[in-house]
Amino acid sequence: MAEKKPKPTPTDDPYSVLGLTKSASEADIKKAYRRLVRSSHPDINPDDPEAAARFIRISAAHDLLKDPATRARFDAGEIDATGQEKPERRYYRDYTDARESRQRPGQAAGGFAGMSPEDIFAEMFRQQGGGRADGFAAAGRNLAFRLEVPFLDAARGGKARIALPGEPPFDVNIPAGLHDGQTLRLRGKGEPGIGGGPRGDAEVTISVASHPIFRREGDTILITLPITLDEAVLGAKVEVPTITGDVALTIPKGTSSGRIMRLRGRGVAQNGHSGDQLVELRIVLPKGDDPKLAEFMQEWRKSEHEDPRKAMLKGVPR
Amino acid sequence: MSQQFDETQVLQRVARLTRDKLTALMEAGAIFPDLTESGPLFVAADVARLDLLCEFEELFDMKPEALAVMITVIDQMHAARQDRRCLLEAIGTETVDVQMRIATVLAEVSPRTK
Repeated sequence: MAEKKPKPTPTDDPYSVLGLTKSASEADIKKAYRRLVRSSHPDINPDDPEAAARFIRISAAHDLLKDPATRARFDAGEIDATGQEKPERRYYRDYTDARESRQRPGQAAGGFAGMSPEDIFAEMFRQQGGGRADGFAAAGRNLAFRLEVPFLDAARGGKARIALPGEPPFDVNIPAGLHDGQTLRLRGKGEPGIGGGPRGDAEVTISVASHPIFRREGDTILITLPITLDEAVLGAKVEVPTITGDVALTIPKGTSSGRIMRLRGRGVAQNGHSGDQLVELRIVLPKGDDPKLAEFMQEWRKSEHEDPRKAMLKGVPR
Repeated sequence: MSQQFDETQVLQRVARLTRDKLTALMEAGAIFPDLTESGPLFVAADVARLDLLCEFEELFDMKPEALAVMITVIDQMHAARQDRRCLLEAIGTETVDVQMRIATVLAEVSPRTK
């Protein structure tokens, strides 16, 4: 499983990410960003495992709002908060543990030479926990994983078997209505704690696999259902697949291709509410030649019937 | 041997960096490339470091000397973190009994708990 960094979602309102409102001035934006750099820049907060995720959102929000022209376009609804993502950045702190890191000679070496054990431990203790005086127990780091979940499991809920490194495989409950990009936090499945501290968490970012029949928008399930010409003309009762099994659907007499029927409550059920399934009907003609049908249509063409394009062509400048 | 970059390659990789800025940062002691006959050579860590320096220069209008002070403090923080991690790892391999004794002494000597 590859590591995956959180991405900004369209729901991230850049103003609220920066703690601002729409009336913020350019100076307000700069000030807010500077303040957040102090508290969330990964190079200034290397012990904060959440800093990188926060900073991605903060930078994306700032990138969107710092330029008055881009900001005006966002305010006007011409662009949304997505698409502001930058290629994954390597922070300076990512290199500071590596041997290749080069710092001012004589200072980088660090080490405990010349310090008594008491000095060392007192020094350690001061740094430990960023302000908590709770001894050497340090929580393990969180680990990030990516998990692809089958479409139906994400829609209906289910179980996924997860194998983390150095760990026997275990089952994870997939809640119904899980959406693409959502993160499941598995408490205590991260790196081991140090000195008896609790284990970190595993953060599993979900990607929902696509399905050959169903598509999904939030709680709504969408499908395209082929129907025959006679079903469209004469009406019919047909079986429609839903995520919980087949359901009967009545096609009204004289149905056009593209008509959308709503199956209430057949979508994704979560939090005590069920979404709907939308069925788009598509008329499919028989494969190959059908001389009888062609013959009938020749006759039918001779009779008078309305032109479906009439209203469309009228009054449209050409 | 890790990958090395010459001045031109570094300027390509760090969008906000200019040749003058790079020279000023080197003179101020904010960055320490390998000085070779064909010019300075940088490693990947230097590139990330320059990216950070340029970011702060732009954001806080910092001068090269101020940036050198900042990055030195950051380096010291990283060195201290590395030391702490090694020590915690070493202590982590000890028995719970030993860990408890160390923690008890720590609680006594730490100025924080006083």
